[in-house]
Amino acid sequence: MSLAERLEAYLTRIWGQPVKVADLSRIPGGASRETYRFAAHVGGAVRPLILRRDPPGSLIETDRGLEYLALESFHDRVPAPRPVAMDVEGAELERPFFIMERIEGGTVVSPFTVMPYGAHARVVGEAFFDILGRIAGADPADLPLAKAAETPAPGDCWRIAVDHWAGVIEADEQHPQPIVRAAIRLLRRKPPPPPSAVRVVHGDYRGGNFLHAPDGRILAVLDWEMVHLGDPLEDLAWAIDPLWNPFDTTTVAAMIPRDEALTIWSKASGLAVDEAALAWWSLFAAVKGQAIWTSAAKEYRDGGFKEPILAVSGWYTARRHDQILAAAMLRLEDLS
Amino acid sequence: MTPSLPDILVGNFMCMADPGPPEQQGEFMAGKVGLVALLSLLAAQEAERGVAARVEENALIRATLTEAAADYGLDVAGLPFTEEVTVSSLDRVNAALRTALIGLHEAVEARDDTVRHHAILRLYVRMADLRRLDLPPLPAR
Repeated sequence: MSLAERLEAYLTRIWGQPVKVADLSRIPGGASRETYRFAAHVGGAVRPLILRRDPPGSLIETDRGLEYLALESFHDRVPAPRPVAMDVEGAELERPFFIMERIEGGTVVSPFTVMPYGAHARVVGEAFFDILGRIAGADPADLPLAKAAETPAPGDCWRIAVDHWAGVIEADEQHPQPIVRAAIRLLRRKPPPPPSAVRVVHGDYRGGNFLHAPDGRILAVLDWEMVHLGDPLEDLAWAIDPLWNPFDTTTVAAMIPRDEALTIWSKASGLAVDEAALAWWSLFAAVKGQAIWTSAAKEYRDGGFKEPILAVSGWYTARRHDQILAAAMLRLEDLS
Repeated sequence: MTPSLPDILVGNFMCMADPGPPEQQGEFMAGKVGLVALLSLLAAQEAERGVAARVEENALIRATLTEAAADYGLDVAGLPFTEEVTVSSLDRVNAALRTALIGLHEAVEARDDTVRHHAILRLYVRMADLRRLDLPPLPAR
């Protein structure tokens, strides 16, 4: 049975009327979920949809239930797709999946290109940091996400984050990594102050994870698979990590200058930016990245070297984050 | 260091050898070809610089360990050495040297040995630079 036939069987069952699937096509990118676009013909109407299905092996172990609830929480607050259906057992599709509405008319641009947003960098940047601020500004207690996401104590946010990603490195490392291990020790020696509020952390908010229109408007924030509650500076630090901006040192995320980005985020979130805390979370961001790339390298090998996205992640990005980590540790010691 | 250059080149063959089902043609296959092209370009850099980077990194780590050996009771002479200049043999030695370096740095931090701590941080910068891969300046599509 083809994937299209499996989708038809599933949707026909849950919608209680015949469904025909057309134009099923896998979308590139996204190493931790297989992503497909398709059209569901049902009751004389056509619904453009996206399927996100777990692969046989995945880059990071993520909770699709939380991702689904995050979309339910935010699709009417920020540009984000509306979720449609989910089955954690896999049902007719055999692997866990969820389906969401497809937002048309935009593109996802790789951050690893020169001037990825062209003349619209400012428009994109202002919206990008405003949306992130609005995510950080939302009270988690009011959101469907609160039904399932654990709420850490403010003082525990940093420790939970470091323990998690240090554990990933411990489990998946195939070659000793002295640089990231030194960074982990530094993070533990000098923890950040607790956040003023525990908020929703998207978990992978960056260039390459949103859809924007030809005029620069952001149409959808994507890839909520690492969503959790924690210190909102975690997202801000990840968004401005130098990894996502390889060709322009005058801006963050290849969009707008750093101080402008932080001002927009602060205004939208209602939260102040503590620069010392942000420096800690910036070092953490590179550790988290290195953990993800460590897993990618392992998945690439375990999967028989068949997924080139895992090779890029486990190789180029890993080496770039070693450079970023080494430079950051030197800066934190006031060395150059 | 994983993946190694041979891993990448084998992978470029493996991922193109299996065309996949119909729904994975078109845009997805075009994306895959783009990634393979990028990996090939980075592989050219690694082919040019990778062995020299490993030789130099191994020498730098060994020198750091040797300098600290008396103070920290390190058996540097017992660490593996190779005269082979293949990626796999250099990586085997590198793994042992890096493990010893991690242990030394932990000990240095425990003793608040600032001079050596700073020297090791500078070594990390050099190691990362030796291993760097440079993205080509591709325009956005």
